[in-house]
Amino acid sequence: MVTKEEIAKIAILSKLFVAEDEMDKLTEDMAEIIFFADTINNASDEGSDFDNINNLSNVLREDEVVPSLDREKILANAKDSDDGCFLVKNIMK
Amino acid sequence: MKYELVAGFETHVELATNTKIFCSCTTQFGGEPNTHCCPICIGLPGTLPKLNKKVIEYAIRAGLATNCEIAEISKMDRKNYCYPDLPKAYQISQYDMPLCKNGFIRLSNGRKIRILRIHIEEDAGKLVHSRGSTLVDYNRGGVPLIEIVTEPDFRSIDEAKEYVERLQLIMRYIGVSDAKMQEGSMRCDVNISVRPAGSETLGTRTEIKNMNSITFIAKAMEYEYNRQVDLIESGEKVIQETLRYDDVSNTTSSMRGKEDANDYRYFRDPDLVTIHVPREKVEEIRATLPELPDKKLERYINDLELPEKDAQLLVKYKKVADFFEKAIVGVKTPKTASNFIIGQIFRYVENENEKEAFHIKVTAESLNELIKLLDSGKIRMNLAKSTLDKMLETGQKPSELLSESDMAGLDETTFNTLCQQAVEANPKAVADYQNGKEKAIKSIVGFVMKNSRGKADAMAAEQKIKELIAP
Repeated sequence: MVTKEEIAKIAILSKLFVAEDEMDKLTEDMAEIIFFADTINNASDEGSDFDNINNLSNVLREDEVVPSLDREKILANAKDSDDGCFLVKNIMK
Repeated sequence: MKYELVAGFETHVELATNTKIFCSCTTQFGGEPNTHCCPICIGLPGTLPKLNKKVIEYAIRAGLATNCEIAEISKMDRKNYCYPDLPKAYQISQYDMPLCKNGFIRLSNGRKIRILRIHIEEDAGKLVHSRGSTLVDYNRGGVPLIEIVTEPDFRSIDEAKEYVERLQLIMRYIGVSDAKMQEGSMRCDVNISVRPAGSETLGTRTEIKNMNSITFIAKAMEYEYNRQVDLIESGEKVIQETLRYDDVSNTTSSMRGKEDANDYRYFRDPDLVTIHVPREKVEEIRATLPELPDKKLERYINDLELPEKDAQLLVKYKKVADFFEKAIVGVKTPKTASNFIIGQIFRYVENENEKEAFHIKVTAESLNELIKLLDSGKIRMNLAKSTLDKMLETGQKPSELLSESDMAGLDETTFNTLCQQAVEANPKAVADYQNGKEKAIKSIVGFVMKNSRGKADAMAAEQKIKELIAP
């Protein structure tokens, strides 16, 4: 079973703010999603061919350069930036 | 007790494609931070990666050049770990179905280093730690890499050094990477353990990450080997861990954090479809492979009869070898071309980088022309040498530097007259020689050389002069 505590923890990990009154509904939804994954686990994979996912193979690109996106746009959603770089909390020690 | 070193290599080689592995951003080195980025390589939601055709081709080239089998069916997987250098929190790599496997590279001592696999993957971004925070530049993120993994087949540091050098040379020959360790386009991780000599079981290994010079690899391996032997000798245990080598203190230290969290939860990347490599495609690529350094060396020694040391110097730089081969087309003695390159031309390209780039003013065709003039006896070696020096300075061709009379050779009458004149013009030297001062003859020969403008054969002149002044 999924607990409210787990939902709260996932919210923190995902950097999402979840209001207290949404918790019950979200817990229920998450339980359903996991239940759905169980359904997939129980499905037989006999006869499924690895090679044939989506019946596609070799969807490839030519090696030709296309201009990159403006740096301003690249950094637009960053929480913080400095000197044209994404700025994150120090991860060394 | 005697101990044996056991090591294996994981080498990352950056592929020299124009664009990244899953998007069309440039792979150019440098550039202002985050200017070679797009929604795909910074991992924005809703984007769809699409594999670069050239990456597959280059990886197959690398596989074939290292005697690998090329998989007919291959796929991409997600390697999950959370670290700011990966914007998606996973790296797209290959897990259980790599593109190439079961190859080998043979070392000069005859031992085979088995290559377990070569897979393709994306590079991570660059982190710069400053003032208590970390700056992230994703220009390198998504640049295509191959990872070449060996079996633990190394038994000495010399073998490791030779392997890295050979691998680097092969990558350059087949044109898939510039494989410059100092610029990070080739980097090595080494797995290392020790065991009592003669033992068959493997000891506990440690892994030294991300080394970018052959010298550091050798030093790090030596340090780590001694550290592990000391631990075992003092009754302690080697702990399996990931280490970082510090070249300033020449020590290894434990790396905590991302590298220790070894549960990567690999799973197939659902955004990327199966890679199918038809056998005809493999043969097509095989047919475009150049002669590899090993074969070339063998041919230079056996067929062209070059001394092994000289052959090695030429083969070591692809552009030099290419130049040499063009310069010897139709010439009688390849050794002459080799001597010119190693003796004279290398003075103009002194360090490794310069030899690698081999930007010189002389074309292979000009050198070829010069050697043919020598071959046909139209000019003498000393004139050829001075002409080559002028060619190296000015970029002019032999035909532009040498006059008709320079190339006309020297007829016998003129030669004899010149020798006679030399004897007459140098009475002191003649007297000295006749009084037993052998060296004195050099200045008489010098006279002949000078007045024939280098066209005379110095040996023949010396012989002739000796005859003329014999008591």
